[in-house]
Amino acid sequence: MTEPSHRYVVPTGAAPLVQLKGIAKYFPGVIANQDVDLEVMPGEIHALLGENGAGKSTLMNILTGIYQPDAGEIIIDGYACQFASPVQAIAAGIGMVHQHFKLVNAFTVAENIHLGWSETPRRASAPALEERTAALAQKFNLQVKPSARITELSTGEQQRVEILRVLARKARVLILDEPTAVLTPAEARELFKALRDFVSTGNAVIFISHKLDEVLEISDRITILRGGRKAGTELAADCTPAKLARLMVGRDIVLADMRARPPGAAAVSSSPVLRLRDVSVLNDNGHTALHGISLDVRAGEILGIAGVAGNGQRELSQVLTGTRPAATGVIEIDGHAIAHANAADFVRRGIGHIPEDRLHSGLAPGLSITANAVMREYAKPPVTIAGIFRPRAAKALARQIASVADVAIPDFAMPIRNLSGGNQQRLVARREMRIASKILVAAYPSRGLDVGAINTMLRYIVDLRNAGAGIVLISEELEELLNLSDRIAVLYEGRIMGVLDNDRVDIDEIGLMMGGRLRGEKGAAHG
Amino acid sequence: MIDLRSLSRRGFLNMAAAGSASLALPGLVRSASAATALPAVNEKNAVIGFGHVGPVTDEGWTWSHHQGVLAVKEKFPNLKKVLEVENVPYSADATRTYRQFVSEGANMIFDTSSTGDFLHEVVRRAKDTAFMECNGHVLMDNLGWYYLAHWYPTYVLGVAAGHLSKSGKLGYVASFPVASVYTSTNAFLMGARTVNPSATCQTITINSWFDPQAAAQAGTALIDNGCDFLFGIMDEAAYLQVAEKRGVWAAMWNTDIRRYGPSSYVSSIIIDFKEYYVEQVRKRLAGEWTPTESLFAMGAGVDRDAWGEKVPADVGKAADAVRTKILGGWSPFVGELKDSKGAVRLAKGQKMSEMDLYNWDWSVEGVTGL
Amino acid sequence: MADFRLQRLPSTTPAAALGARILAIALALVIAGVILAFVGKNPLALGLQVVTSSLGSSFGLEDLGLLVIPLILTGLSVTVAQQIGAWNIGAEGQFYAGAFAASAVGLFAPLSGGWSLVGMGVAGAFGGLVWILIPALARAYANVNELITTLLLNFVAILLVYYVSTDAWRERGGVANSATPRIKAEIPEFWGLVHWGLPIAVLLALAMAGLLAFTRWGYEVRLIGSNPAAGKYLGIAARRHLITVMLISGAIAGLAGMLEIAGTVHRLQGGISNNYGYLGIMVAVLARGSSIGVIFAAALMAFILNSGIILQTQGLTTSTVLAITGLILFLTAIGDELSHYRVVRDKS
Ligand SMILES: Nc1ncnc2c1ncn2[C@@H]1O[C@H](COP(=O)(O)OP(=O)(O)OP(=O)(O)O)[C@@H](O)[C@H]1O
Ligand SMILES: [Mg+2]
Repeated sequence: MTEPSHRYVVPTGAAPLVQLKGIAKYFPGVIANQDVDLEVMPGEIHALLGENGAGKSTLMNILTGIYQPDAGEIIIDGYACQFASPVQAIAAGIGMVHQHFKLVNAFTVAENIHLGWSETPRRASAPALEERTAALAQKFNLQVKPSARITELSTGEQQRVEILRVLARKARVLILDEPTAVLTPAEARELFKALRDFVSTGNAVIFISHKLDEVLEISDRITILRGGRKAGTELAADCTPAKLARLMVGRDIVLADMRARPPGAAAVSSSPVLRLRDVSVLNDNGHTALHGISLDVRAGEILGIAGVAGNGQRELSQVLTGTRPAATGVIEIDGHAIAHANAADFVRRGIGHIPEDRLHSGLAPGLSITANAVMREYAKPPVTIAGIFRPRAAKALARQIASVADVAIPDFAMPIRNLSGGNQQRLVARREMRIASKILVAAYPSRGLDVGAINTMLRYIVDLRNAGAGIVLISEELEELLNLSDRIAVLYEGRIMGVLDNDRVDIDEIGLMMGGRLRGEKGAAHG
Repeated sequence: MIDLRSLSRRGFLNMAAAGSASLALPGLVRSASAATALPAVNEKNAVIGFGHVGPVTDEGWTWSHHQGVLAVKEKFPNLKKVLEVENVPYSADATRTYRQFVSEGANMIFDTSSTGDFLHEVVRRAKDTAFMECNGHVLMDNLGWYYLAHWYPTYVLGVAAGHLSKSGKLGYVASFPVASVYTSTNAFLMGARTVNPSATCQTITINSWFDPQAAAQAGTALIDNGCDFLFGIMDEAAYLQVAEKRGVWAAMWNTDIRRYGPSSYVSSIIIDFKEYYVEQVRKRLAGEWTPTESLFAMGAGVDRDAWGEKVPADVGKAADAVRTKILGGWSPFVGELKDSKGAVRLAKGQKMSEMDLYNWDWSVEGVTGL
Repeated sequence: MADFRLQRLPSTTPAAALGARILAIALALVIAGVILAFVGKNPLALGLQVVTSSLGSSFGLEDLGLLVIPLILTGLSVTVAQQIGAWNIGAEGQFYAGAFAASAVGLFAPLSGGWSLVGMGVAGAFGGLVWILIPALARAYANVNELITTLLLNFVAILLVYYVSTDAWRERGGVANSATPRIKAEIPEFWGLVHWGLPIAVLLALAMAGLLAFTRWGYEVRLIGSNPAAGKYLGIAARRHLITVMLISGAIAGLAGMLEIAGTVHRLQGGISNNYGYLGIMVAVLARGSSIGVIFAAALMAFILNSGIILQTQGLTTSTVLAITGLILFLTAIGDELSHYRVVRDKS
């Protein structure tokens, strides 16, 4: 998109802004980092790549004083440093925007920016803080609404607040942990522009992502972690997605074409198993998020939902799984209208749900991995027999789910928030697939997964379809949708703009529909 | 029940300057007949314990008892230990405190503010320890009690109030609706009514013996209601300060605290436990102690304080005349008495005994709020 | 030159937490010792006195055994509510309400002996339950913060008990403070003055621990408590669970009030709770959400409170003792937080 051909040259003679030497970090049963060296030069955007659980977040948490390294040195501007807390790290010019935002939801943007900041005026009125915030936004060219509360903001806006918070504290090194996972392509482009501006004045960015194209586009150099160790640092200009994937996984990744139906796969049912008829849904603020939607999901098909995030996807996945009631309209399962939507009821009927915000709604972050893994099956044997919950049976089930999900877990009693973001996602996905005998509603299932894991995940989704389940796949990745779906519906501002059969898809047409044109408007023009 | 005023009459003869009158032993009500004396203890091995309801710095009730503790220490300088705990709550913590006294070998324990069952729980399990409960009601083999016949000096203050109050509305800041408060309010109003038969006494209960803020609020409320003379049972001076500010009269309890309201101060119910404590400890050490019930007579541990500087001389004189009459053996607590609902509770000519007065649990006509 | 600094760690192991707690108590004791030396006492002799008095004699152990009963139950009450993410600041009021209801039965119900005790127990639990009912419903249906509602109801309960014990139910000819007549039915004592409320309290704590760990209901409660949104995601009847758990919490505190009446005080009076409801919050904090931990935390709390009484008999003023016990409780409570820190050496 922007100047893909520029070739980064490591400046000679300049001292690195950040230097990590021989960093190690051990958690009980896990080597999160070992012997990791990293060098970030002024003016550089440095990407950090690696599989889920490779230790990327941990390494950055060490650099920002959240964790203490068990070995190794942090050198900033040539001086060895030790950060006891993020406050000290930011004082040394190192700031981080986390995978999961750390904003205070009930506070305004201005309050969040000024929270815990030594330069916050001791006695300041709300308007004064907002004025300061506006000035900062102007200075760093990041548009935010100073008086808005965090809950009122879209994910992209929240991220801008996080970045502004860091930049306001005079950061020279900005660390972004999977920033684009939650952004629309437009928002991502805006972010990249801001990052380029930022490094142009001699600052640096460390950028964690699983999207290889994006990494190649934005970064100057790339460091790859594998199993907590460094697998190499490369110039972005010398890399291809395939090479990066090989470095990350240690072998080649073959991206399979998954559209072909193997012989023996369940056929698409003639009548829908799940059906929405004229369904309208309100969002948390009481505004209509879905306007009279009608949608059929058949057994043995993958129905893709295309569209820019924030156009009603969340509410759609919720109404399909009984976690949000329909304001008007009818929901039918197997031809029977459901009077009172209840999530447990939907689960009993074999409807699984991979939610878009796994940490906030799909998991109880403070509870053990076991407790989280059995969330869908705790109420039935073998976990619960005659009302008695059996921790040992629960652990056995958790172990089973973890092994299928390919997540190595040292301690099942550990709170699940200690797992890497991708590994949490894998567990949730497997847990849901186990029970989704009829329907699986998967919202952004590959979000936060490494390339290999995405491949596996999509494979499993296809297998599930082949076994006769209906899949609703909500995604922003058109490629993913085209690769998997039997039909694609396009969602725009809470309305279905049209439903297309995959073998007759016109990418331009989908693009226009995602922008709000109705199906057929373009087709008519073609004649 | 024995009428004890005859026994305690010699206290009346020793009428000294007000406020320091406690030369004679207080009046004994009765002793537990069956109890045998606890064996003697050598002073050097003896441990005596005191538990107080408030802090010894309260300038009131607890301070007065603390003076008694000091007198014991002075008289018996070789005691092994004198244990003294302040702020003993009226709760199971009181039991714990007194049990701890026993654990530490206490030979004699004074509970200076009746913790009732909480104390008795300990008394039953510590047969070798002598217990004395101030304002107690129960006699056991190793438990006696003592209190003050405060109703006589209170009656005297009531007479003064009858003279001083122009509105005839007397205000009373009360702690809890307990016997000592009934007796105090009744005696006070009866004294006042000898001067002003239409006088009334309005009471506000603040559920504490020591709560300056609540007492001040109660005092203010009473004055706002037209009261121009405040009295009460409080362990501190808050309502006196209110009276001073608002220019009304006030009478107090426990000690001479006129400096908190010199122009409002009328007098106080002065109390003194020094001699009684010294005597009880002496008996315990000597092996003579048996449980007894005592009510200090006026002039022998309880009295009125010297009159306040603004109290007209003739008022003081009139009240003192009544005091002399009481010291001479006259009782003002004779029927006919009606309660606050108008029912006759004491027939004409009938006299209340000391124990009746001690256990008074109804208000005479004209007292409201209890 | 080496330079020492504190570093904050994001997570901590149970061993580190325990170590930090011991360290915090030790630190508190050292500070307390300095205070004592400052007011002219011998801290070592006093310390020895405290330990021998409370742990070295059956009198002292009995005192602990008695004191720990209400602390276990109020601590358990707060801990149970915590499981579903509710802060029951009202254990104090529920304690009073339980004592009130139990006394009503004990004083006026035509029951005899054991039946009277059973009636009092049921009434006590029910009284506590009623007292938390409104906060529970308000939280469940109107999302009204239970912190404030439960706290406010404390004052109402305290006043109610003051009223009946100084007025309607007062024993005529009562003594210094007002109280009801003595209630005839008494829980028998089995060890000195320790009554059967102790095993009841311990069993209840164990039962709650079992319910939470080994029932489907307990799993759902823990899940909702940890993340209410997850409850919605699973379609669990979060509202019903919230109400049930809060009612149980209130009933436990109410039972504490009943045991205090029927086992220890035997009369309803103002100040009956001795702040056990508020101390229960401390116990719960120390127990870190574990119902079994409550037993140990309550024992520690009882020891600290009892030490305060022993220190007072040694001639320390109430305010000094309050300062010391407050310090120990405070430092113990922040022991967990301390376990997040470690000392590092700067090389420069
Ligand atoms: N606080 C913790 N306690 C125990 N283990 C932890 C903790 N934090 C991280 N880990 C473990 O360390 C490993 C590295 O995790 P980390 O979060 O750094 O991975 P990551 O590279 O960021 O992965 P992802 O791409 O999935 O976000 C994982 O196995 C994780 O479970
Ligand atoms: Mg991560």
